Amino acid sequence: MEFPFEISPMYEGERIRKSDMYVELGGPTQPGFELVVSANKDEIEDMKFTLIGPDLNEMEEGKAYPYAMIYRIAGELVEKDLEPVVERRNHDFQNYIAGYMHLNQRYDIWIRISKSAVQKGLNSLEQIAKATMMLFKNELPFIEKIEATYVTDQAEVEKRLEEAMKIYEERDERTLTLHDEDVDDFYSCTLCQSFAPTNVCVISPDRVSLCGAITWFDGRAAAKVDPEGPNAPIPKGELVDEIGGEYTGVNEFAKERSGGEYDRIKLHSFFEFPHTSCGCFEVIGFYMPEVDGIGWVHRGYDAPAPNGLTFSTMAGQTGGGKQVVGFLGIGIAYFRSPKFIQADGGWKRTVWMPKSLKERIQEFIPEDMRDKIATEEDASNLDELKEFLKKVNHPVVTGIIRDVDGIKITDGWIEEEEVTEVTPEEEAQALQIREQPQIPSMQIQPMYQPGYQPAPQMLPAPSSGVIKLVLKNAKINIEKIIVSKEKD
Amino acid sequence: MAINLRGSFVLDEVKNVRINIGKIVEEEMEWEEETGPTPKPGIMELRKWDRRLLERYEPFYAPMQDFCNLCTMGPCDLSGNKRGACGINLKNTKARLVTIACSIGSAAHTAHARHMLDHIIEEYGEDMPIDLGPDVNVEAPIIRTVIGIKPRTLGDLREALTWAEKEIVKVLHSTHIGNEEDILDYESKAMHVSMADHVGMEVADIAQIVAFNLPKADPDTALVDTGFGIVDKSKPVIVVVGHNVMYARPVADYLEEKGLSDKFELAGLCCTSHDMTRYNAKAKIFGPISYQLRVIRAGIPDVIISDEQCIRADLLSACEEMAIPLIATSDAAVRGLPNRNDDPVEDIIEDLISGKTPGVFLSEPEKIAEVVPKVAEAVFKKKQETEMFLTEDQLIEEVNKCTQCMNCVFTCPHSLRIDQGMESAQKGDFSKLASLEEVCIACRKCEQVCPKDIKILSVIMKTGLKGLLSKTGKTRVGRGPIQDTEIRKVGQPIVFGQIPGVIAAVGCTNYPDEMVDLRIILDEFLRRRYIVVTSGCHAMDIGMLKDEEGKTLYEKYPGNFDAGGLVNVGSCVANSHIAGATIKIANIFAMRPLRGNYAEIADYILNRVGAVGFSWGPYSHKAASIATGFNRLGVPVVVGPHGTKYRRAYIGKPWKKENWWVYDIKTGKKVYIEPAPDSLLLAVETKEEAIVQLAKLTIRPNDTGMGRQIKLTHYLELSKKYLGRYPDDWPIYVRSEADLPLRQKEELLKILEEEHGWKIDWNKKKILEGPIRPLDPGFNPTLVEEVYDKYSRKK
Repeated sequence: MEFPFEISPMYEGERIRKSDMYVELGGPTQPGFELVVSANKDEIEDMKFTLIGPDLNEMEEGKAYPYAMIYRIAGELVEKDLEPVVERRNHDFQNYIAGYMHLNQRYDIWIRISKSAVQKGLNSLEQIAKATMMLFKNELPFIEKIEATYVTDQAEVEKRLEEAMKIYEERDERTLTLHDEDVDDFYSCTLCQSFAPTNVCVISPDRVSLCGAITWFDGRAAAKVDPEGPNAPIPKGELVDEIGGEYTGVNEFAKERSGGEYDRIKLHSFFEFPHTSCGCFEVIGFYMPEVDGIGWVHRGYDAPAPNGLTFSTMAGQTGGGKQVVGFLGIGIAYFRSPKFIQADGGWKRTVWMPKSLKERIQEFIPEDMRDKIATEEDASNLDELKEFLKKVNHPVVTGIIRDVDGIKITDGWIEEEEVTEVTPEEEAQALQIREQPQIPSMQIQPMYQPGYQPAPQMLPAPSSGVIKLVLKNAKINIEKIIVSKEKD
Repeated sequence: MAINLRGSFVLDEVKNVRINIGKIVEEEMEWEEETGPTPKPGIMELRKWDRRLLERYEPFYAPMQDFCNLCTMGPCDLSGNKRGACGINLKNTKARLVTIACSIGSAAHTAHARHMLDHIIEEYGEDMPIDLGPDVNVEAPIIRTVIGIKPRTLGDLREALTWAEKEIVKVLHSTHIGNEEDILDYESKAMHVSMADHVGMEVADIAQIVAFNLPKADPDTALVDTGFGIVDKSKPVIVVVGHNVMYARPVADYLEEKGLSDKFELAGLCCTSHDMTRYNAKAKIFGPISYQLRVIRAGIPDVIISDEQCIRADLLSACEEMAIPLIATSDAAVRGLPNRNDDPVEDIIEDLISGKTPGVFLSEPEKIAEVVPKVAEAVFKKKQETEMFLTEDQLIEEVNKCTQCMNCVFTCPHSLRIDQGMESAQKGDFSKLASLEEVCIACRKCEQVCPKDIKILSVIMKTGLKGLLSKTGKTRVGRGPIQDTEIRKVGQPIVFGQIPGVIAAVGCTNYPDEMVDLRIILDEFLRRRYIVVTSGCHAMDIGMLKDEEGKTLYEKYPGNFDAGGLVNVGSCVANSHIAGATIKIANIFAMRPLRGNYAEIADYILNRVGAVGFSWGPYSHKAASIATGFNRLGVPVVVGPHGTKYRRAYIGKPWKKENWWVYDIKTGKKVYIEPAPDSLLLAVETKEEAIVQLAKLTIRPNDTGMGRQIKLTHYLELSKKYLGRYPDDWPIYVRSEADLPLRQKEELLKILEEEHGWKIDWNKKKILEGPIRPLDPGFNPTLVEEVYDKYSRKK
């Protein structure tokens, strides 16, 4: 079918200003929504379009109208869980249309159609619906049949919106209550392998991808489109560690897809066989041995964290699909997970995050912890952080009792050791000792791990038989002196 | 008697001993990263990598002459496969010339770096730490990769620079008569010396950012006035021209200190002006080299400070004609002027104002700072208001002299039809002449061949004065490096096909047509949400061109390294940050070690990073070395038509299937792949061709399905839009139906089936048979055996 408008990803960023707008649909002044629901194949007449209410050419220029777009899809592989994933693509596809701006999603949609598009021949919403349905079918071949009902009639939009709201609520409920234990398959994401060849993201209902872009539902949808593609199902296999989130299926998969780089992954653990990262993680977690707690910093925050390091510096320590203990890259949505690093105490282990990040995820922090997590306003260095944590009586101070099983996992701060000069080396050693019971086979990598090269031999005291040298008018040229810290 | 000197010694007596310790490093500050195979490589170390590249991207030579006259045995006619007196053949002379050109370019940046670094260390000390801001962790990606050090202080940069200097001399040596016999060896040396160029550039820019506190990876720098019409002529105008901000900086400081900043206009030509604005955003940018004679002949400057590199070799005489005193500051371009460093400031000022000397050589920063404003003020006061270029009467007089002999047209680099312009003007229509202003590169060759001595350049500029004066745009000040965090942020949209690639518009102003074309090209990619990076002349050209709404591209697009962002890194030496960004990708996403690990990193970039360089108006030797340095790093470059005069391109031959292979670390197999990218250095003739080639050259073997889909979408759309048809070669880039553009999927599947005999399952819209290889999400390509061994051994 020929359309009177261009369809290209280049129009994605297109903004239509009020002065260039022919009509507005939905948006701040009118009700509107978009909805995708699944149906049986025989219920659907493929590519059928129904309009309830006035069409574009019956609308008055410059005005806003109510707008509902309801798609029914069917196909062998179509299922209820795919509805929201497909629905979100309506935004992408419609933005490909020149002169058609689509913002937001669900019941917040805001569409503008430009005057120039109308001049070029766009005169019916049918053209929009047909183009959108064509794109749906091209991109998501599991949609075998699709039909669209667009509504611009006020009463009808409002009536249908009520029904849609119920569906949205049900979906949200499902997302929130679906957990790792409820499904048989997780999904992999190897998209990043194009840049980080050994990285594998394991996406489970309780763990979003590191970049934040792919949920379990997205992974499932993509796997249906192309089972051999970047998002493949990972049969969970047997549960090895319930709390850490370790499964035999995941381990096998990780081993295979990482090219043998590693063979165990615990999805909800910070210290033990943590998830790997590519480089596009939204947030990095970092362990601070001085307080035995974990801080989190996001990409947008460029001041140093209390440990004196910036996001960039810490992020430079991990990535490349490597398992690095002491740092963990995550997607922001993982903070919502009830299993959020549960093996290591979850929120109770969290001691610091930038204010802007904390505000963004405030509602997911358990109430009793909300005021105990410091931000840069409370603490910008370790001393201030220690003070703060003591003041609020943070669980790390007295020892963490893990919520998930009631086991005490840390001892809390040993009575303030006499503050003597702690050399970085001692610190690193202390860190290893403290963590060793938890990390049987892995080495913590502190930031600047001191090299343990033996210090240059001290000159022995002169004794008989030693040649004595007298230097006169000598030039000694030393290209480089490496100063080693003395051991002990 | 043999003395056994093994063991320990005791110093019993020390007399008149000088102990010189070069460097003290605390062990924990040493770099943990393991040293790779090629720290501080010599000519041989990366030869194997070069050969890998050159076997695939065979050098293609386009000689401008088929004789050689570099030595006294010549000139030798090398046509018809003849060899010269020394035994060299035509291809090899061209390869040698390319090597020489790259050596010149490399020496220019590296000498600049040396001068700057020595001076800065003297002023600030060698211990000044290298800090490029909180979001830049990988501070010197090129130096890390090539030299194998992680520079922490200015002093550490010396090690890198010394290496570069040594290699440049070695490569230049090889161009002496009677050396290389094999073109690939010359090409390898051209690549080597160009890699040294990138090191030199990185040293220079890091040093000046750190010492002069230039913007540190700030995406939102100030917008500064740009174009011919930007200065307020009611104030004395100081103009700097060249590429080394060392001499312009003291003038800016002096004006600031004395509270005179608002009483003078400080504007620049060429890259010095970029660096001036990075130093002080009150400074302004006139434009590139093609604006030098425009600005001088218009009589705008009251004094000119010149430094080095792309400056006209007739600067002094051009200044003399307009009675503009010239202060040459760099020993690279003394211009025959007396060295006045030891003279009192007052005497120098007096001689310049009185016209006793047309110019001086002066390199003492303090003296320059004092002399320049005083001379500018005095000259300004003396100056009488005159019309720019010519009076109306003079114009008509000049135009009427023309006999349409065509000498000017034949000598013009762009064969501009000056004769037609003159003819129309003689009949009273000056519009044709005026329109030439847009296209003229102001080289003045026409005037020298005019038998009637018509001041052709002035005639063109005068008739196009209105357009010239309307060039009053904005350039976003050069920001220096790309943040590590910005690179992290674009990783996800790149693999998800939301950012199709990176276009790096770097280069000079020898445009085939109007400068406006550059704007059209970049705007097309920005609208399509490519990341566009720019520097040097290209960065200032787009700053003077406005759209219908009066906005430059800088005002239309944000300055961050992100989809649809327009990133000005700064001057020529800031180009190092563009190469650096590609290296950082390997380090950040794949944690590939950089230290002395060049081939692995370049291999990674060639196979994975969809960045393409673009030089629409290449002319300088620096452009040659910058481009060749990018090529060795695995980044293809598209040059405008004059780029053929570099005499060599690297063009792949897609039909030679045996050339297009990689090892796949994942499957352990040698795999034949689609030719991506299909060239490393390519000259194009038109903007339409440039756009289509740039889109194509972002394609890489590792593209995800979504990534390939978006790249093919733009390649096809742009080809259709600008060339009126789909390109011939698009099917070779299709690995699976997931790669096909969404909108055209069905149409293209049909073409694949009907015209190319591919097998399609129409129910599932799946390709069953046809592609060179299937799409494999874990595909892990490399061209380097050592890299293959390193990463497959773990299995």
